[in-house]
Amino acid sequence: MRKDKNINRSDAMTLQTDSSEDTQRPQPATKRLSYLLRVNSADPTLMLALLLLVVFGYLILAPVVLLLIDAVTVHFADIARTKQDLGDLTFYYLNRVLVSPISRDLFWWPLAHTAIISVAAIVISFLVGAPIGWLLSRTDLIGKKWFSTALLLPYMLPSWTFALAWLTLFKNRTTGGQPGWMETFGFNPPDWLAYGALPISLILALHYAPFVILLFGNALKQFDTQLEDSARSLGASPATVARRIILPLMMPSLVSAATLIFAKCLGDFGVAYVLGAPVGFDVLATSLFRAISTSQAGASAVLAGVIVLLGTISIIIDMRLLKEAKRFVTIGSKGAMVRQTPLGKWQAPAFAWALLVFIISAGIPLLALTLTTVMRVPGSFSLDNFTLDYWIGTDLGTTALRQGILLTGEFWLALWNTVWMVGLAAIGAGVLGLLVGYAVVRSPFASVSVALRQITFLPYLVPGIAFAAAYLSMFAVARPPLPALYGTPIILVLAILADQMPFASRAGISSMMQLGREPEEAGQIVGAGWFRRMRSIVLPIQRNALVSAILLPFISGIKGLSLVVVLAVPGTDLLTTYAIRLVDYGYSQAANAVVVMLCVVAFTGTMLVQKIGKANLSDGMGSK
Amino acid sequence: MSSITLENIRKSYGRSGPAAIANLSMEIGASEFLCLLGPSGCGKTTTLRMIAGLEHPTDGRILVDGKPIVSVADGIFTVPEKRNMGLVFQNYALWPHMTIRDNVAFGLTLRKTPDAERDAIVNQVMTKLGIAKYADRYPAQLSGGQQQRVALARMLALKPSVILLDEPLSNLDAKLRLEMRAELKRIHAEAGSTIVFVTHDQWEAMTLATTIAVMSEGELQQVGTPDDIYERPANRFVAEFVGSLPINIINRGAVETGPLVAWLDQVLTHFDIDAAPVASAGIRPEATRLGRLSEDEAARCAAGYGSVVDVVPTGGSWIVEIDVQRTRFFAIATENPRLSAGDTTHFWVERQHLHLFDREKQRIAL
Repeated sequence: MRKDKNINRSDAMTLQTDSSEDTQRPQPATKRLSYLLRVNSADPTLMLALLLLVVFGYLILAPVVLLLIDAVTVHFADIARTKQDLGDLTFYYLNRVLVSPISRDLFWWPLAHTAIISVAAIVISFLVGAPIGWLLSRTDLIGKKWFSTALLLPYMLPSWTFALAWLTLFKNRTTGGQPGWMETFGFNPPDWLAYGALPISLILALHYAPFVILLFGNALKQFDTQLEDSARSLGASPATVARRIILPLMMPSLVSAATLIFAKCLGDFGVAYVLGAPVGFDVLATSLFRAISTSQAGASAVLAGVIVLLGTISIIIDMRLLKEAKRFVTIGSKGAMVRQTPLGKWQAPAFAWALLVFIISAGIPLLALTLTTVMRVPGSFSLDNFTLDYWIGTDLGTTALRQGILLTGEFWLALWNTVWMVGLAAIGAGVLGLLVGYAVVRSPFASVSVALRQITFLPYLVPGIAFAAAYLSMFAVARPPLPALYGTPIILVLAILADQMPFASRAGISSMMQLGREPEEAGQIVGAGWFRRMRSIVLPIQRNALVSAILLPFISGIKGLSLVVVLAVPGTDLLTTYAIRLVDYGYSQAANAVVVMLCVVAFTGTMLVQKIGKANLSDGMGSK
Repeated sequence: MSSITLENIRKSYGRSGPAAIANLSMEIGASEFLCLLGPSGCGKTTTLRMIAGLEHPTDGRILVDGKPIVSVADGIFTVPEKRNMGLVFQNYALWPHMTIRDNVAFGLTLRKTPDAERDAIVNQVMTKLGIAKYADRYPAQLSGGQQQRVALARMLALKPSVILLDEPLSNLDAKLRLEMRAELKRIHAEAGSTIVFVTHDQWEAMTLATTIAVMSEGELQQVGTPDDIYERPANRFVAEFVGSLPINIINRGAVETGPLVAWLDQVLTHFDIDAAPVASAGIRPEATRLGRLSEDEAARCAAGYGSVVDVVPTGGSWIVEIDVQRTRFFAIATENPRLSAGDTTHFWVERQHLHLFDREKQRIAL
């Protein structure tokens, strides 16, 4: 044992002469570099992080940036109109969308419509959801457990499903095809009831009311009743307690629910498309869709940019408020006590209200959809009107779809496409999400972690339809190393994958945070290299996390319409786009049958996830 | 059975961050049972992890049996997978998804040991550590003590040339600590392995190690046997860090002329020690003698004098807090001192229990 601080440098040099060439000794700087390389070769985390940055730079950042560039550069079709060269900087599109005479139809009316339906949807969903949130979290409501799943049902299914249900019930002669139920009953619904702002707001409200139920209910659950009690004991009246204590503390969760609903309404394409198109009622999402389908690349880039901007603002507001809410929760939850309010004589009305909401928001629509698929004339309940033809019939009298849906090749192709494309994207998102988590948590450089985390979160700020527009900007032409992808399944898989990354990467980060370094280091000590550690230690330990990081994106991907409606072509139809195509053709029964199948898949999937893992719907709610 | 040499090790985090370890050199002999002892943040765990390869030095060399496994200047770095060292983590780091048997066998599987041989080794190690009956359970189903045995078994199955332990006894209760201490001593005796462990707990260090290296702020303070460290602390830091109750320190500052300083001077004169270089002195509470003496006796052993503030029984010994004109002095009596608050008492110390330090806080040899 010695304590020697003066080991001779030349001494140290001579010791290693046998291990390296001694004729030409490289400079110490290169030696040091080779040392660092050797240290890092044992741990490819940094390499992995950089590789992921490149991949997501390509799949997420580049499309969005290109989209924004598209909004201010001259496109080929507009060279004559702008009198500028291809690719020059121009304000032509901004001008066209925001100022020109057609800007009213292209942008300002859709914007106003979006604002109206968003505000209406927020108000209605609060009126419906807040009382139910309270009933489910703070009272002894009968059947509370059943309700707390059943009332979330609308959110488990695609929003535009309910638009189709509405159409099934209320459509009139403004659109062709099969009659609606009301028509069959002898009542001809006016346009304002059948299409446009009213039904769109109502359906969006009922679809997103679960946000309010969950967020408001959870906040109430964490709200300490001792806070109420102490205010009451100081002499405050119940009204004062509600106004001065409960409301301020609930504010973050309420505003958070409102901004989330706004962001969702902004990107929701299907509902407005199904119910708005017949009367020319455009919102931003449908206006964007129209611009894309009429090949106005510049205008659609501007519209998409505006949607991204609005989405970003609302999500940032939401994140601010969530931080705020967390601060409140830590104060409130120390020794928290939650008291259940007995409903007493209000039990029956409360139960009736909850049941009514369920019937209107889920029961009637689903029943109408399902029944329609077995009726020749929708809404006619005579016995000879019932048929299974739309499922398994042959030689129907229609022009295109001459057999039942289950006998139609396109349906099975769409189903198969849905399973394999969304499945592949979900597996990719789940695995990449876990790798992102690993890289973010383990990366030796904080800046790389931060960049990776933010880049994978970016699609969350970009509503689906705008993200699809970004993908068109990026992949409609060849981008080395990839060829032009429009019309191929690859663009769909990549877009769905990228769109699911916010959830997948957040799930990966949080599960990697919980894992800690030691299990892996223990593997290193007994001789396991990096790939072996990933295979035998990290991935097996994270198996459950991986399963939910794949299943939740899968479910949400199956339901998604706005992203794929722009990118799918008849050969690459998914169930969602196939259903919309059938709607366009006016084949109500067939469309509804496809939607029913879709609901079955989405619902069983959701239930499966809740059974399997710790993952539940409120986790998934953060994703799109 | 390997010796380890650390040469001029420097470790800093970030490009130009402050050095966690400035310049550390030490040699750990083959078959030594060495403890790195120091307060948290002193760099001891970093040192252990650098030996294991889980951290890399910013500068310097690490040699095993004279061969460099790390040498920054020569671009040499052996990855941890290739070092054949055994490391037991503080929280054991068992793999939760593998049974106990699979945990122990994993390293051998990686080395492609033939199945029969592997099973034989695994069974032997598990039997020796008394965990064979849990072979098919998962780590979460075992108690902390059992989990630690699994961690030891996992490490021993590979017959590492160097065994590294991170706070090996810290998560165990008193009874298990004694058991595990005996276990580790046995492993050391049987295998003759070189064992290095880190701890902030001096009991752990004293009871286990044959050699203790005391560290503070990334620097080595003293290396020696447990008795060396306790009886002949090399400097003030070691004297103050080691010892169950903090050592009484008396500063002979130019300004300070408290009652204890006067007593210390009296003691130095009594033992015929040159007081000039002495900047401070340390007297362990347990080396302090107590009792009521006659004036003659008191003069003969240069005793100080004070009044008892408190007597705290700790089961087998008594901590006596003495007030010497408003400065505190602690003593530990191994027999009931039969004193109570308000009593007066003499206290004195024998020459070999006097620790003297110079202005640089280094020990003055007597």
